[in-house]
Amino acid sequence: MKIAVCLKRVPDTETRIKIGADGRSIDEDGVKFILNPYDEYAVEQALQLKDSAGTGEVTAISLGSSASQETIRTALAMGVDRGILLETDALPLDPVPIGKALAAELGSGDYDLIFFGKVAIDDYSHAVGTIVSELLGIPSVSAVGRLEIADGKGTAEREIEGGVEVVEFSLPAVLTAEKGLNEPRYPALRGIMMAKKKPLEIKPVELEEGGLSVVELSVPPARPAGRIVGEGADAVPALVEALRTEAKVI
Amino acid sequence: MARVRPSDTQPLLPLDRIIVRDAPSDESIEVDVLFVGGGPAGLAGAIELAHLVEADAKAAGGLGEISIAVLEKSAALGEHSLSGSVVNPIAFRRLFPDLKDEDFPFRQPVKHEAVYLLTKNRSFRLPTPPTMRNHGNYTASLCEMVRWLGKKAEELGVDVFAGFPAEKLLVSGERVIGVRTAPSGLDRDGRQSSSYTPGTDVVARVTALAEGSRGTLAEAYIQWQEIKSENPQIYALGVKEIWETKKPLDTVIHTLGWPLPGDAFGGSFMYPLEPNVVGLGLVVGLDYRKTNLDTHGLLQEMKRHPLFRPYLEGGEMVEWGAKTIPEGGFYSLPDRRFGHGVVILGDSAGFVNVPSLKGIHYAMQSGIFAARTIFDALKKGETSAPYLASYDELVRDSFITDDIFRTRNMRLAFKSGFVLGGFKSVMMTLTGGRLFGKRIPIETDADVWKQARSPKALQPDGELTFSKVDAVFKSGNATRDTIPSHLITEGDVDREVAEMYASMCPAGVYELVDGKLRVNAPNCVDCKATDVLGPRWMPREGGSGPSYKRM
Repeated sequence: MKIAVCLKRVPDTETRIKIGADGRSIDEDGVKFILNPYDEYAVEQALQLKDSAGTGEVTAISLGSSASQETIRTALAMGVDRGILLETDALPLDPVPIGKALAAELGSGDYDLIFFGKVAIDDYSHAVGTIVSELLGIPSVSAVGRLEIADGKGTAEREIEGGVEVVEFSLPAVLTAEKGLNEPRYPALRGIMMAKKKPLEIKPVELEEGGLSVVELSVPPARPAGRIVGEGADAVPALVEALRTEAKVI
Repeated sequence: MARVRPSDTQPLLPLDRIIVRDAPSDESIEVDVLFVGGGPAGLAGAIELAHLVEADAKAAGGLGEISIAVLEKSAALGEHSLSGSVVNPIAFRRLFPDLKDEDFPFRQPVKHEAVYLLTKNRSFRLPTPPTMRNHGNYTASLCEMVRWLGKKAEELGVDVFAGFPAEKLLVSGERVIGVRTAPSGLDRDGRQSSSYTPGTDVVARVTALAEGSRGTLAEAYIQWQEIKSENPQIYALGVKEIWETKKPLDTVIHTLGWPLPGDAFGGSFMYPLEPNVVGLGLVVGLDYRKTNLDTHGLLQEMKRHPLFRPYLEGGEMVEWGAKTIPEGGFYSLPDRRFGHGVVILGDSAGFVNVPSLKGIHYAMQSGIFAARTIFDALKKGETSAPYLASYDELVRDSFITDDIFRTRNMRLAFKSGFVLGGFKSVMMTLTGGRLFGKRIPIETDADVWKQARSPKALQPDGELTFSKVDAVFKSGNATRDTIPSHLITEGDVDREVAEMYASMCPAGVYELVDGKLRVNAPNCVDCKATDVLGPRWMPREGGSGPSYKRM
């Protein structure tokens, strides 16, 4: 089985984000970047499928600046076989040109399965995986929480409001990974060492501009400080009152 | 009045757990030279060695390819590195003779400096002692310097593995043959969870222990080999905060006196990283005399002083961290810092000059010297102790020893109290260390009796002053809260002892709950203070602990 996993380099969830001088981008100075956490589930799933099949190849593909090589290396260290960086200086906000660039690469790869994370935690568009499937004319299942592949067919479970949806699909297909799909492995020391010797191809790409632009970025307003209403059982009426009239949650 | 001697309830370092004679596993990784610890010492050593190997290849020296690896316990380089810091650029210049000071990852040259003696509400400017003059030095963040050095090392082909603490020293006979990294994915009871990954054996011809202050493997090696020193090593604990301020600071400030009690040795610092970003901290010797001394609490109190408050008010505390410092100086250096297949570098060896508050350039220089020795040994094809002995000679004949010898008794003089100690240290400065030059014998910090006192409650306001819990959050500590405890305690200890741990630990790891000691291990920021006076710190799952950015 040939499997592709698409990866994105994103700021660490623990990082303190600062808005840049232009007001429309983040100040990357001192920001630590990581492999998008949802993409980790995608990588793990691809590796598990390959392991259980006993044969196959997993390719990690990322679109981004040269620094995204580091992100691909993380996946290689986890066990992915090879990497492709579609190199571009800046990513547009619009997911369509991003989807087009990825589809152009993926279309020529003859992949049975193409994995994405359900969402990139930086721009939260949720869109690229689905756009790619549309451009390639193959089925897609988003936010997959459980997956089985057998006899050229797949069954995926998606968590929906109040229940679970079970979807059957034919291969090839695009799948986007939900949190909890599996437990991503940590790269082992030996894996990191071997990752340095695995092939990583760099292909420059030109992206269309797209139809969206960032007008302004702003940080959410600071949360007001908490208040201690009182202590012990005597404070309960005051707490209930505050929850009802101030917080309006009960 | 009850008294406590910390050593009475301190567990021994479990040598049998740390020093193992197992044959390396089949899955082991082999390298030529392994640096344990990706701080200034280990990285400078790796870079210098890579330079030498490169030059040898160019000159057709015949050494061939040499694999160099660095193991670092934090998730990314620099995340466990903390220092003041005002750095002397000499070691950077020696490591990169082709670069200029502007190319180095410093923040600003020291323009002005001032030393103050504080009372509760006032400050008195003192003449700057010669040891503390910083003209020509730079303020800098150790995290940033370490990240920069790491990049340079990788460019030179060094394999840097962050997130892999070395947990055990692999030995064969008297020889160190490598390390085993800590496993990850253990649950709270030490059982293997679904994400369990065993440790990896890394086998090397030379293992350079550069773990920083109170390095576990270095300590274990010194104890195992019974390497003596004239005095035991002693430590201080520093707690530091980074603030973004409204009011700019252009002066490197040091203070003595308040809020420290007269029977504790230490002082504070406030350094500008940028005009509106300052690092400030308080450092206290762990030979303090009352069990309720709380360095974090004292730092919080200190920020209310009129010398500091105007800079901080209206600003924001963006980072917090803590670290111990080896303070024993010349007489506490281990008699030898090498052995069969092993050398000990930087803070792990104790290369710190307390009167000038410097350690980074000594650490780096010790790494450079070790690299030269290791290179010569590799050329000769032999890495047993006699071939690594020249490391000690290089250190002995260098500015490291000159500086540390000149100030050999200054910290020790303060064992006799602040006033007398201050007088003696002035006399030592005036005479280049000759007056009162005879070694002042000292005991380990854990053997110093402390009077039992009830802990002082801290009342943080959340703006200028912070609780230990808030502080740990600002250290970026995101340790998985289901890891097994990495701290070895001596079972049920007396209330006075538990209270001492709770006061001492800046990260709120120790608490007294219903009269019993409770250990909140995931809070730990690896400062190692209690390792000096109480519960032992052991390496834990990679990536645990703080994630410092600009410390």
